[in-house]
Amino acid sequence: MTCDTEATAIGGATEETAPLGAPSELRGRVFDIKRFALHDGPGIRTTVFLKGCPLACTWCQNPEGIPLKKMVVYHPEQCIRCEQCVTACPNGAITTRPGERRFIHIDRTRCDCDGTCIEACPTRALRWDSTEYTAEQLLREVERDEVFYRNSGGGVTLSGGEPLSQAPFARKLLELCKAAGLHTAIETTLQTTPTVLTGMLPVVDLFLTDIKLWDPEQHRRYTGVDNGIILENVRFLAGKGAHMLVRVPLIPETTTSRENIAAIARFVGALPGGHALELINFNPLAAGKYEMLERPYPYARYTSPLPEEDVEELRCLVRAEGVTVI
Amino acid sequence: MTHEMLRGLAPTDRIERLKQAARSEERYLSVEQALLITESYRQHPGAPRVLQRAHALAHALRNIAIRIDRDELIVGNRTSGIRSGVVSPEAGIAWIEDELETIASRPQDPFQVRQEDADLFLREILPLWRGRTLEDAVADRIGAEIGEIKSVVKINQTDHAQGHICPDVARWLELGPAGIREEALSRLQGLEQETRSERSTRDAEEAFLHAVVISMEGAIEFIRRYAREAEADVPMIAAVCRALAERPAETFHEALQSTWFLFVILQMESNASSFSPGRADQYLYPYLERDLQAGSLTVEAAQELLDALWIKFNQIVYMRNAGSAEYFAGFPIGFNVAIGGMHADAETDAANLLSWMILKAQEHVGFSQPNLTARLWKGSPREFVEECARVIGLGSGMPQIVNDDSIIPALQEIGIAPEDARDYVVVGCVEISTPGNNLGWSDAAMFNLVKALELTLNDGVCMLTGKQVGLSTGTLEDYRTFEDLLAAYRRQVDHFIDRMIPLCDAVDRMHAEFLPSPFLSGVIRDCVARGIDVTAGGARYNLSGIQAIQVANVADSLAALKALVFDVDGTEGKNRVERGELLSALRSGFEGFEVLRRMLIYRAPKYGNDVEWVDRLGAHWADHVAQRLREFTNARGGPYQMGLYTVSAHVPMGKNVAATPDGRRHREPLADGGVSAMYGRDTSGPTALLQSVARLPFRHAANGTLLNMKFLPRTFANREERSKFVALLLALIDLGIHHAQFNVVNRETLLEAQEHPEEHENLTIRVAGYTAYFVELSPDLQNEIIKRTAYDM
Repeated sequence: MTCDTEATAIGGATEETAPLGAPSELRGRVFDIKRFALHDGPGIRTTVFLKGCPLACTWCQNPEGIPLKKMVVYHPEQCIRCEQCVTACPNGAITTRPGERRFIHIDRTRCDCDGTCIEACPTRALRWDSTEYTAEQLLREVERDEVFYRNSGGGVTLSGGEPLSQAPFARKLLELCKAAGLHTAIETTLQTTPTVLTGMLPVVDLFLTDIKLWDPEQHRRYTGVDNGIILENVRFLAGKGAHMLVRVPLIPETTTSRENIAAIARFVGALPGGHALELINFNPLAAGKYEMLERPYPYARYTSPLPEEDVEELRCLVRAEGVTVI
Repeated sequence: MTHEMLRGLAPTDRIERLKQAARSEERYLSVEQALLITESYRQHPGAPRVLQRAHALAHALRNIAIRIDRDELIVGNRTSGIRSGVVSPEAGIAWIEDELETIASRPQDPFQVRQEDADLFLREILPLWRGRTLEDAVADRIGAEIGEIKSVVKINQTDHAQGHICPDVARWLELGPAGIREEALSRLQGLEQETRSERSTRDAEEAFLHAVVISMEGAIEFIRRYAREAEADVPMIAAVCRALAERPAETFHEALQSTWFLFVILQMESNASSFSPGRADQYLYPYLERDLQAGSLTVEAAQELLDALWIKFNQIVYMRNAGSAEYFAGFPIGFNVAIGGMHADAETDAANLLSWMILKAQEHVGFSQPNLTARLWKGSPREFVEECARVIGLGSGMPQIVNDDSIIPALQEIGIAPEDARDYVVVGCVEISTPGNNLGWSDAAMFNLVKALELTLNDGVCMLTGKQVGLSTGTLEDYRTFEDLLAAYRRQVDHFIDRMIPLCDAVDRMHAEFLPSPFLSGVIRDCVARGIDVTAGGARYNLSGIQAIQVANVADSLAALKALVFDVDGTEGKNRVERGELLSALRSGFEGFEVLRRMLIYRAPKYGNDVEWVDRLGAHWADHVAQRLREFTNARGGPYQMGLYTVSAHVPMGKNVAATPDGRRHREPLADGGVSAMYGRDTSGPTALLQSVARLPFRHAANGTLLNMKFLPRTFANREERSKFVALLLALIDLGIHHAQFNVVNRETLLEAQEHPEEHENLTIRVAGYTAYFVELSPDLQNEIIKRTAYDM
């Protein structure tokens, strides 16, 4: 799951000026639409990233997706240091830092207007991190690549954030996608209610979910919640015969212990329906996003994925539990 | 026989040795054939030009030094040295005189010059030819007019013979030079009994047919000389050549050798870019099949022969003048081979065992030639598409992909019969033609739509030189609305089209006058039967291609004008750009206008991101050129048509264009390829790019289009990853895009090759419809290739 915010830098389909529907319509807050996504389910896909997440994993790859609120983000590579934003801000929230790569600083505690600085910025170095869409508008966006889905067995994936934190919108969008004949997948933490999940069952072809840590206390420590609801929901989906892929993100010194992987594999092996387990190697590229948000990144010292032999060793543990590993 | 048996087939030791030897020789300028031609013209003063040309070719075929190298299975070359730059006095030598001192050190495509050759050139060749070449005639008769429009229109084919032709190889194989000679002789006899036609027409026809006979006799002798040369050491080669001197090819080995002789001799007659073998997997297959069935040849031995031919295609390069070498950098000689594709029945695919062997030869040899193309369509077998994807992933940029489903209807639209359209080939880089019946004149001229826009914004005055070169239509400040601007642009474009056409016609006629090509005419259907040389319109199809350049910059510039200058509804007043300010910024090349420049880049949407209204602006102006061209008929009686490709000309053509409203500074390169987005501006991924590209008027671009895409090698890491690339290819077919080619390389590799060229001599890169050695490209072009957007998976 990678999300390239640069993808929307120039004239892409996700302009924040996209016309909004009638005010009463249900709208979703989208922080990226990634076309040509190749690892978010089968085939060539378009992945839609919805804002808001009940978890706060310390390694989150899309930290901008955690808060539901929309925010101003700063792209220093496009900044020409004209200071028009400083002048424009009615709250005096923007200050400059001469000599630094990140030339301007936004005081988030004072930032609350409706994007005056974004309008003032001539080069789009300041942008909203997200755009609001109606489900119909978003369907039109994802339908653009239908020819690629058709030729590759691909489709649409909802991701985030936690897409189910905007559950009514997510459901409506996927319902429209199904009606349009598109394959649908959802990347979800499963930190949600059985009612919400039951509602999603008819409109989701593939659930992509994580079990990050087996130990509930560890889970709470690293994600903010324990894993009781998540494990319950995995069992629920398996019991309903849902098409599901369970994954473990390999986070150095956090999820990579032999005990953790073996316990998760044992749990998956006991699920009805024979589910596979995928180990997803650590991706060091998220560091740049933390910089963009001016937040410390706890894994900054890990600059490369795990060595292939270490991953293979963990895969062996999964196989030892009789579970197919991807 | 299936392709399964090719799996794991490695190149033989002999092929490895031949590969080593192929690139070990330095390139030299060669005057040997020029001296023989000069000698021959002295012996035939006053004869009709077509006979002078035939005698000169035959004289060279009989006397030029020949050589057979160790390990060779396929023999023959037009000079004894490998990759020599041949001087062609009939076409043009003034440029050689000008560049004799600098050609060894020029940045793009240098050639070494031996002192004795330079002396011979100045003493023996130059005095006789000065003022008598095609190049001189063009300069004398229309040089001034060409100069007046050169900032917008580059008229091509002014100093060399015409290429971009696919001969009728099947006919050459079936008849051999002896059979074609017989045909011309019997036509001559028929002519003697005819009394109907005009005396002058009959004289011309007779001279032409005699010339065909003379050139075929030269060809027979050339082949026989190789038989004699091989006699002592390599009897097998001697036997093959002896047979070919007397009769048509019978075995696969003979067919391959015969094919190679054909292209060597075509190059000796014309020294032109891009004589293309075309559908080699079709016309060579019967020979392969027969030998395999008879048990006289194994698949392994056949593959070795094919590999050996693939290496030979790299021994001929084309020496251009310094300016032209920038436009067509890296010696593209354009031996284009097209595999697979629709059968004439429009229902079944033509890929066969030989198509797979050709992909294998590409894998084994991986040099820059031949230029390999795969014809794909809805009916292509999935496993053939997968194999193409695998070979593309090896990184030589080949095969490039062309689309039967969009090209065939486009060809029919310009009057090509359905059965000929289904048999189409690619000649040179991406130019579309039909085999053995077509003089496509693909590169008549390049039309710089971006320069025309610059002139439109500045009252017809070049912003770089201050000279009035176009129509005076007002400046940006004078246009009250976007529509006013477009109307002025239309006038400017039309003005240059109207001035361009008569010049193209004049150059075309001068080719018939100075460079009739009797040997080539012998392998183009209908020429002998009609008694008309191919340069004079003897072929069934006579086209002329004009390239509209460059859609991306036109679309982006007009979109910025529309979004930020004219139609400001919906955008904030403070972002509005004043017309006067933009004009000043453009004139200054954005010096002191960096904020404005960034605004143009980031505040206006760009072509290549699936934004329909932007893409339509580019499409509209490309189609405008196509529609205007339909009004004209060329000197050979055929239609003009549009293409959308630049080869490497986006760099030199950009040098001539001032700053543009898309944020491009003075003299920066234009977008690459032809239909590609401006580098770095397609930020929405490859699917969005393809959706934008698909909006262009492919139906009216039968001359060929060019799309560059760059992927990282991990895209091709395994079958699962590759399957997504295969899907991308299939979607590209559905979208109706004529052509795409793929560089598969890491940025680090390219930077490393710039740093240490000596360690990367074999790194090939797709430039623009052809593959070249990266280290042989000039730094400008290398940098531009590095800048192109790379797609990750």
